[in-house]
Amino acid sequence: MNDSPSHVLVSARNVTKVYNTDKIESHALRGITLEVRSGEFIAIVGPSGSGKTTLLNLVGALDSSTTGELRVLGKDLCAMNKRLRADMRLHSLGFVFQAYNLIPVLTSQENVEFVLELQDVGNERRQRATETLQQLGLGEFADRRPNELSGGQQQRVAVARAVASRPRLVLADEPTANLDGENAEILLKMMKDLNHDHGITFIFSTHDPRVVAHAQRVVTLVDGRVSKDEKKEPSVADHSKEE
Amino acid sequence: MIGTVSSKYALRSLFRSPVRSLLSIIGVGVSCAMALFAASWIRGGAEMQIRAASECGSGHLRIVPDEWTEKRLNSMRLADWGQAIEGVNSIQNVRSVSMRARANGLVAFGIRTSAVEVVGVNPEEEFKSNRVVYKSELHGRYLREDDINKVVIGHALAKRLDVDIDDDLYVTVSGRDEIQSVMLTIVGIVKTGSRDIDASICHTTLTEIERMTGYEGPGEISVLLDSHKLIDSRQKELAQKIGNGNTVITWKEVNPALAANVEGDTAFTKGLVAIIVIVASLGIASAQLTAVLERKHEFAILSALGMKVRQVIGLIVLEALIVGIGGTVVALMVGGSLAYYLATHGVSLAAVMGDNFSIGDVLLDPYMYGDFGIWLVWYAVGISVMSTVVASLYPAWLTTRINPADALRTA
Repeated sequence: MNDSPSHVLVSARNVTKVYNTDKIESHALRGITLEVRSGEFIAIVGPSGSGKTTLLNLVGALDSSTTGELRVLGKDLCAMNKRLRADMRLHSLGFVFQAYNLIPVLTSQENVEFVLELQDVGNERRQRATETLQQLGLGEFADRRPNELSGGQQQRVAVARAVASRPRLVLADEPTANLDGENAEILLKMMKDLNHDHGITFIFSTHDPRVVAHAQRVVTLVDGRVSKDEKKEPSVADHSKEE
Repeated sequence: MIGTVSSKYALRSLFRSPVRSLLSIIGVGVSCAMALFAASWIRGGAEMQIRAASECGSGHLRIVPDEWTEKRLNSMRLADWGQAIEGVNSIQNVRSVSMRARANGLVAFGIRTSAVEVVGVNPEEEFKSNRVVYKSELHGRYLREDDINKVVIGHALAKRLDVDIDDDLYVTVSGRDEIQSVMLTIVGIVKTGSRDIDASICHTTLTEIERMTGYEGPGEISVLLDSHKLIDSRQKELAQKIGNGNTVITWKEVNPALAANVEGDTAFTKGLVAIIVIVASLGIASAQLTAVLERKHEFAILSALGMKVRQVIGLIVLEALIVGIGGTVVALMVGGSLAYYLATHGVSLAAVMGDNFSIGDVLLDPYMYGDFGIWLVWYAVGISVMSTVVASLYPAWLTTRINPADALRTA
């Protein structure tokens, strides 16, 4: 798979999503057309109910679109079964959740290692988890369980878990929503470094202006549609390419 | 394949609600212990009945004339008993051998009579192999090889006829050509404790019955083995060596009612174990379902991270397996102790059988001992693990239905 900066990782064409609850149709997405290229650092913004999380669910192969065409990493998600979707999530995608969602009974090290174990990574699993934690400045917290960490530390471990499996695309749903200013900045810098150093593509849904400030592209959703798609500055990866 | 971290996850998840996990383990363990105790009781009972039946003349194996099983005529005699005896001597694990011949008869003393089955025995062999003889209270003496016109009868029969040692009984039997009557002197009176058996014992020598009936040779050869577990293999082996005209049957065919009783008990145990497994499984399923539903969001996260269905099921089953192993330990401690007590101290049958320790013409032991052995471990592991693993399947299936999109919603 070509991962050059110009390579399209996500391609959405007229994607809609309708939820049917108690015979009431709820249109979460109303024809989204969007392309995300490798190495981008994108913020998806919009008011509550605008479809940000739904879009992340679809791109993350967690849910299926109602109509339209959605290709992620060159694969048509509509044509993939449950097992193939799980396989894609495990091997090619990383997730960072608003509520951190670490496994409470596992240490930081084990939380990161767990994903690698699911990937059937062999003997180097432990070493890779340790390296990832150290790279993100979490080495000293490796043996601590989530309840022994601050919110910011937990979210950084969540990022470590998301990137340890070396995904090509990381999806983050409101990653700084529960963090104070200092921790949010630390987290954003960490993710920008990963974007810059490893070329990992990040897509965030956020309300947080600090995240928006860091994003090189901001996609605004309103009522399930893309109302604005603006590039703020060349991506870090693009910088590298130009250099 | 469950990895190290998954195993830690499964194990530590049980400690999230230690009381619930402990209760689950105790529930499985106690249920399994009940099953172990029941199995020990029934297996011990079955073994006791088999031993009693085989030691009361049936033998573990019996060589009889062809068609004896269908006709059961006391006038039938073995085709070539010499070859049959050679066959018996050639197989291993034989504890004792006893030859007998039977005849339908009538015993009389004065004006008192009683119908009996007169059994001609080899006295030395009979005394070694028949518990009706060697376990009984014997007034007088038992038969000897060189006895002529002598008989040993049961206590109840003696009372019915109002006879004692040295009295002469008038014995009439159906012979080859005609009815034969002889006078036999009572040398011994046997008291087994069972009125039914004591009313039926009428032993004389094999030579005497040959003389009385005119039929030559024994009608049966009973073979006691070192263990009833050898019955099937030795039956096949012996069947090859006894010549034409004879057949080898087991104690079951000699005592079909008792065999049905033992099989009924075994079926009952299996049914009981099945019920216990189902009840334990339902209890575990309920506890595990609660545990899984409490972690619904967590499983959604794992699914979002890419955990596959088989991995999720493996995780839930592993948790159940840990509970099952804990249950096995409890079961062995509780059920094993009870089974050990039952095996070493036994239970008196007096409460259920009074002083008549017999079923038909089989003299039972007054105490019943449970079975105790390594099988308890396999039973405990099998029952505990099976019930917990079966119980985990529905919660595991339910987990695979959780929508991973829930992971992106705040818990």
